[in-house]
Amino acid sequence: MTNLKHMLMSTVVLSMIAVLPVAAQECATAPVVVGLLPKLDTDPYFQVHKGGAEDAAKEMGGSVIQAAPSAATAEAQIEFINNLIAQKVGIIAIAGNDANAVAPALKRAVQEGIRVISYDSDVAADARQVYVNQVKGESLAEMMLVSMADLIGAEGEFAILSSTPTATNQNAWIDIMKGMLANDAKYAKMKLVQVAYGEESEQVNQQQALALAQAFPNLKGIIVPAGIGLPAAARALEEAGLIDRVKLTGLAPATFMKKYIDAGQAQDIWWNVTDLGYLTYYAAQATAMCKITGAEGEKFTAGRLGEYTIGKAGEVVLGPAKIVTPANVAEFKF
Amino acid sequence: MSVVVQSKTKSVLFEDTWALLLGVLTLAVLAYGAILVPNFASAFNLSQLAAGMAEKALLILPMVLLIIAREIDLSAASILALSSVIFGLLLQSGVPVLVTLPLVVLFGAALGAVNGALIVNLGLPSLVVTLGTMALYRGIGFIILGTGSINVFPAAVTDFGIGSVPGTRIPYVILPFLILAPLFAIWLQMKPFGRRVYAIGGNPAAALYSGLAVARTRFTLFVVTGAVCAIAGMVFTARLANARANNATGMELDVITIVLLGGISVWGGKGRLTGVLLALVLVAAIRNILGISQIGGDTQGMVIGLLLIGSLLISNSTGFLVAWLRNIGALPKTNG
Repeated sequence: MTNLKHMLMSTVVLSMIAVLPVAAQECATAPVVVGLLPKLDTDPYFQVHKGGAEDAAKEMGGSVIQAAPSAATAEAQIEFINNLIAQKVGIIAIAGNDANAVAPALKRAVQEGIRVISYDSDVAADARQVYVNQVKGESLAEMMLVSMADLIGAEGEFAILSSTPTATNQNAWIDIMKGMLANDAKYAKMKLVQVAYGEESEQVNQQQALALAQAFPNLKGIIVPAGIGLPAAARALEEAGLIDRVKLTGLAPATFMKKYIDAGQAQDIWWNVTDLGYLTYYAAQATAMCKITGAEGEKFTAGRLGEYTIGKAGEVVLGPAKIVTPANVAEFKF
Repeated sequence: MSVVVQSKTKSVLFEDTWALLLGVLTLAVLAYGAILVPNFASAFNLSQLAAGMAEKALLILPMVLLIIAREIDLSAASILALSSVIFGLLLQSGVPVLVTLPLVVLFGAALGAVNGALIVNLGLPSLVVTLGTMALYRGIGFIILGTGSINVFPAAVTDFGIGSVPGTRIPYVILPFLILAPLFAIWLQMKPFGRRVYAIGGNPAAALYSGLAVARTRFTLFVVTGAVCAIAGMVFTARLANARANNATGMELDVITIVLLGGISVWGGKGRLTGVLLALVLVAAIRNILGISQIGGDTQGMVIGLLLIGSLLISNSTGFLVAWLRNIGALPKTNG
C-alpha cells in the first residue's frame, strides 16, 4: 500500500489549491516594486539594462527585481511571469521571447491585479499597456548609410553583410538604403557592389567579410546590420590586415566595437542600454500610478531623460539611435 | 497490492529506502516553502506550479515504463512539438476541436510506431533511433511551419489552456495527467503488462526464453509514448496559445532527469512510478522556490543537476550501508 500512499502524497500539492477571489487593478500611490523579466538570465545586455533601472529606482524610490530563464523561450518565460505574480510585484516589465505565447500568462497577471508593460521586444499589444522601444527601426537604415558615407568620404564601393536572406528587419533596411542611394545626390558616388549573408554565425560572417574584401579589390567599406556579424567581421579583417582599407559600420553593442571605433577603423549604430533601463523604470512607475495608460498622446517625465510622449499602440521610443564615434564611445556601457 | 516481480529480491529494501528519502525530502521542501518562502503557499502560485509541469508530468508516465524496460525515447519532446504543429494546422484549417483530438493522438501514436518498428522489428538500439527521430520529427515541424507560429485558436482551446476547473484553482491543463497517472500506475504495478515490462528490463534474455511477448510489449511501449506525447503537445499548445516547431525544446532531458531522480534504474528492471511522481513534485517545488526567491534559470538548472548527482551518491551509499548492516547481523538476511 505504500505506493498508493506516496501517490496520494504527491497529489497533496494539487489539493492545496483553493478558491481565491480575483484581485482588481488599483492605482499605486507610491513607487512600487518593478519586476523586470528579460529574455535571458545572464545576457550582459539585460544586466546593463537592469543597472539603468536601478539608477532610476535610486532617484524616485521603489525597487527593481529581476530574474529570468536560462533559455530564451516563451515556455521558460511563463514560469517567471508566474513567479513575479506570486511575489506580488507592483508591475511587470517584460522583454518578450515570443509576442503571442506569453500573452495568456500576462493577461493572468492582469487578472491578479498586476499591470504589465514591455521593453526591448514587444509582446501582443492587448497583453500590455506601454511598450518602451529602444529605437525606431527605419531610422537605423538611414544612420548606417550616413555613417558609411562619413567613413569613406561618400565615395567608392561598399558592400552589405546582412543576417539571413529572410530576415525581415534587415531586408527592410537594405531596401531603404538602396532607395536612398538611388534618390539622394549625397550618395551618388557610392556604389553598393554586393549584399552577402553572415547567417547569424560568427564563422560565416568572418568568411564572408574576407571574401568580400578579396572579391572587390576597390572595396572601401562594409555595412553589417546584424549584432553578431559586425564584431566578427572586424576581427577577421583585422587578422587579415585589411581593417584599415575596408571600413566597417553597422549594428552591434558599442563595447564590442570600441577598439576599432577608437582606431577610426569602424563606426557603430547603437543606443544607450543604460538609458533604456532608466526609461523602462520610469514608464513602469508611471503606469503603476495610472499617470499613463498607454493611450496615444499621454506624457510622462523620465528623470534626467526629460519628457516622453506615448505614440501609436502605446509605444514610447527612447530616442534616435546614435552613431558611435571616438568622441562618444565612452558613454556606452554596452 | 499485488507483489511486483522483483519485490522479493534484495533490491526491495533499497528501493523503499529511496522512496522514503525522496518523500521526506519532498515534504521538507514543501514545508520549507510553505513556512519560510513568502507567497509560495498562495493558491495562485500552487495553481501555476501545477500548470507549469503539466506536459512534463505527462511525458514522465511513458518514459518510466520505457526506462524500466531498458529502452529510452529521446524523441519525446520532438513528438510533442510536431504534434503541436499538426494540432495547430488542423485547427487553423477549421477542423472542429473534438475531431482534432483523436486525430492528433493517432498521429503521435504513428510517430511512436515508427520508432517502435525501427527498434523492435529492425533490432536497432533505441538510444540511436530516437536520437535520430528527435532531430527528424522536430525538423519536419520546422519544414512545415518554419520559425513561424500558429497562435489563433478556438476559444475552447485557449480556455482550456488558461482556465481552472470552476470553483477551484486546479488548472485544466493538469487534468490529463491526473486522469492518466492512476491508469499508468495500475497498468505498471498491478497488471500483467507491467510485470512483463519489469521482466524485460530485469533480464531481457530470460524474459524472451520464458515465452513473454517481448517484441509486442516493447513496440506497444513506443506507440503509447507517442500517443501520450501527442496529448502533451496539445496541452502545451493550449497552455501557450501557440503551435510552433521549437516548442518544448530540450524537455526530454528534464523528463529523463526526473525519472532517474525518482529511482528508476538506468539499467532497467527497477523503480516505481510513485518515486518518480515524488521527484516531479520535488523538482517543480525547488525550481519554483528558487524562482520566487529571484534566482534565475541557470542557477536553478545547476541545483537540479547537483540534486541528481547527490541522489546517485546517496542511493549508492545506502546500498553499501544496507549490505554492511546485513553483514554485521543488524538487519535480517533476505530470503531471496
